[in-house]
Amino acid sequence: MNKIRIIARLDVKPPYVIKGVHFEGWRKMGKPEDLALKYYEQGADEIFYIDCVASLFRREIFYEYIQKTSQNIFVPFCVGGGIKTVDDVAKLLHHGADKVVMNTYAIQNPNLIRESAKVFGNQCVVVSIEAKKWDGWWECYTDCGRIKTNKDAIEWAKEAQDLGAGEILLTAVDAEGRKKGFDIELMKNVSQAVSIPVVASGGAGNLEHIESVITQGQVDAVAVASVLHYDVLKIKEIKKHLESKNIEVSL
Amino acid sequence: MIQKIGIIDYGNAGNIFNIKKALEATSLGMKISILHSAKDLKKVDKIILPGVGTYRDVMSEISAWLKDIKEGVLKKPTLGICLGMQILSEKGYEYGETVGLSAVGGEVLKMPVKGRIPHIGWSTVETIKPSKIMKGIAAQEQFYFMHSYELVNYTDVVALSTYNDHKFVAVVEKGNVFGVQFHPEKSREAGLKILKNFINL
Repeated sequence: MNKIRIIARLDVKPPYVIKGVHFEGWRKMGKPEDLALKYYEQGADEIFYIDCVASLFRREIFYEYIQKTSQNIFVPFCVGGGIKTVDDVAKLLHHGADKVVMNTYAIQNPNLIRESAKVFGNQCVVVSIEAKKWDGWWECYTDCGRIKTNKDAIEWAKEAQDLGAGEILLTAVDAEGRKKGFDIELMKNVSQAVSIPVVASGGAGNLEHIESVITQGQVDAVAVASVLHYDVLKIKEIKKHLESKNIEVSL
Repeated sequence: MIQKIGIIDYGNAGNIFNIKKALEATSLGMKISILHSAKDLKKVDKIILPGVGTYRDVMSEISAWLKDIKEGVLKKPTLGICLGMQILSEKGYEYGETVGLSAVGGEVLKMPVKGRIPHIGWSTVETIKPSKIMKGIAAQEQFYFMHSYELVNYTDVVALSTYNDHKFVAVVEKGNVFGVQFHPEKSREAGLKILKNFINL
């Protein structure tokens, strides 16, 4: 068995980490540099930093926040938001990111995945899929769950893998921020369709939710946000619970 | 004299910023510089080859001063991280066959595992031989990996790791040439300890 990763996800609307429900009704949770350090100290296996409004506002990500947030974090730091070109990726890596997450522009220009993977390696390119459930299928959304694309999430996951993505960050738009559990069916369908790691995101409300998305959803990592921001759970506690259920983690 | 550590810049790729930051976090006295040319290389005492990128791309990026890098690696203690470790080998096959620095033996091949590739995450590293770079590290310690390819080497291995029941080389050491497949700059205290060992050589 391989160790399941527990990732702290920071959705950022600079200068604050925000949290909403279904990507809407945002509330300020704190500063990204403070929360990143807090979750690093709690034992997070990785930190994800997603600028939620960069692509929506059609602007570049704010590099100074990336640099500041990564400063005292000695676990992988993955950054996304408004990435349009290979140069954007390079710039992020030079400001403290270890890998990047792309969604909006990767859907508009899938070649961005291929080009980035060729220069930085597959492991550096995470493709984020925000999926909304319809009758019998899941549709990809962009711009933090706002814009429809007509693209089938499972098909897009396979395509992204073929283009060179090293990992999929998978968020169910309907479950996001509700703390009512993950969309297990979506997670399982995508996990089985690809051979690259899948990170489940959106919906963790308690320990059982996290456990079941691993055992039933068959994902390789779980990204948590609300439960950490509201101090409902601590990362160590999540890992200890998983270990007690014979799921390997890094403790 | 304060020691000078140089990190080789491959252009676009490379995780230079994070390696520099981790070296600084050890709080050991040193001067860190980013190396762009043979001239820069002459001024440093130790060399770090960073990770992130692809074998082929990196070898082509450094082609202009390849000879100097090869010489430098022979003379000065060198630490290769992830891809930086892989290019220490004789040959790689990522995006086509490419000749490496040949500072350690072996070739870099796609990991022959059934499960998910890339291998991303924390894995236990088991030290199998006394080693300068692994000094003070527990016989079994966890480090962070992020790779699809592995160095196949039978002569210079000091530590192994396992992914999907497949054992692979995690650390090589040959004289003053060191290579780690994982990311010490991303592996909490144990990772910083590796960097300290390199600085304290």
